[in-house]
Amino acid sequence: MGKAFDPLLIIEFLPTLLHYLGVTLEILAASIFLGLILGVAAAIPRLFKIPFLNQLVILYVSFIRGTPILIQLFLVFYGLPAILMIFNIDISKLEAIYFVIITYAISNGASFSEIFRGAIRAVDKGQTEAAYSVGMTSTQNFFRIVLPQALRIAFPNMANSFIGSLKDTSLAFSIGVMDMVGRGDTLISATAHALEVYITLSIIYYAVVLLFEKIFNKLEKHFNRYQSADLSVAA
Amino acid sequence: MTIDLPFIWIAFKEIIKALPITLILTIVPLLVGFLIGIIVALVRIYKTRFVYQAANGYVSFFRGTPIIMHIMVIYYGIPLLVDQVASKFNLNIQSSKIPIILFVLTALSLAAGAYLSEIIRSGIISVSTGQLESAYSVGMTKIQAMFRIVLPQALAQSVPNFTNIFIGFLHTSSIAFLVSEKELTGAANIVASTNLKFLEAFIAAGIIYWGLTIIVEGISFLLEKRVTSYSRGGVS
Repeated sequence: MGKAFDPLLIIEFLPTLLHYLGVTLEILAASIFLGLILGVAAAIPRLFKIPFLNQLVILYVSFIRGTPILIQLFLVFYGLPAILMIFNIDISKLEAIYFVIITYAISNGASFSEIFRGAIRAVDKGQTEAAYSVGMTSTQNFFRIVLPQALRIAFPNMANSFIGSLKDTSLAFSIGVMDMVGRGDTLISATAHALEVYITLSIIYYAVVLLFEKIFNKLEKHFNRYQSADLSVAA
Repeated sequence: MTIDLPFIWIAFKEIIKALPITLILTIVPLLVGFLIGIIVALVRIYKTRFVYQAANGYVSFFRGTPIIMHIMVIYYGIPLLVDQVASKFNLNIQSSKIPIILFVLTALSLAAGAYLSEIIRSGIISVSTGQLESAYSVGMTKIQAMFRIVLPQALAQSVPNFTNIFIGFLHTSSIAFLVSEKELTGAANIVASTNLKFLEAFIAAGIIYWGLTIIVEGISFLLEKRVTSYSRGGVS
């Protein structure tokens, strides 16, 4: 073992860890995609006040909001095999990454459902009335008038969730997933240079977050292009 | 594998003993972070020269990286720094004697400072400039106007955001278990591995966190009602 702290190691670790960025982004993409589906499915009972399902979704959102992602991760990791065992399905040999994706999808689904619900309710009622007055059906009104506007309103919050979720993926290694942080862990055991590994990881996360922030800002401007200047500030 | 329901209660009683550490890991960083947050927010609003860029960089970096990274970098970095300094000046300080919780508190405080500064900044910006103008018109100084007129309104408006960040940091404190801190999650992990009942222990921990969150939300709801009682618009 050489110096206690060797900045050159950061440059040396960078390509090794970047190689595993793909796994991190894979977890992110899969959990966001599944989370979107779950979020829409969970928002519907809330919006239409479907009895029982409505209460179930409230409970689901409250639980996800009420517990740390780390606890959710452990609950899925230990709980899902136990539940599926009742139905005689054995998933104890499933790779850890799938548990991570499922956990983050469930977690994202809860926040997305709240974002969708808020966004749809934020669309002015006058828009719906205007749509009906020109003879649109309620389905047409929803898909052509309300939803496009709701997506514009929801976008900044969804971008925040996305970036939050990206940062949360850094905890996946705690159930043994070989993502960027997991690879960093093995580098630490091999070289005993923990500080350099974590600095490298921070640099990568920061760069990726900055990149996504740039993209989302551009997209947000694009979505708001029909808004008059003062309105887009308010939204 | 079946779920041992009675054990959840046993685990619950065991894990809840770690509640004080979780509360320390939540409240101390938020208090320190609040001070950092006010200073950073004011620096960014008044665009104080030289410090301004540093403040921007600090907020951007800490909000742009996972909190576990802050904890790890400080957990491994500060001991190295302390040992280097100690050996250079022949000081009799050993980094191994520093309790781990101090590293976690430092890391969480710095992260909380970055998040809180954004909340405080947006709160200050949302107070109308008319308030500031009328403060000046009755002869208040810049500092008086900020601390007597703008900040109280800004903080009152930010109560929902403060609640969110409180809950966020309550949950974030669970990361401390990864550096073997015995807070709620760490205690749950110990109960789980000594009894080999992982699911039950984490269900118990989940219930504790959930309960705490509901209590915090309830307190915040009452607080919000109180602090906005003079500023509600419309008919009341």
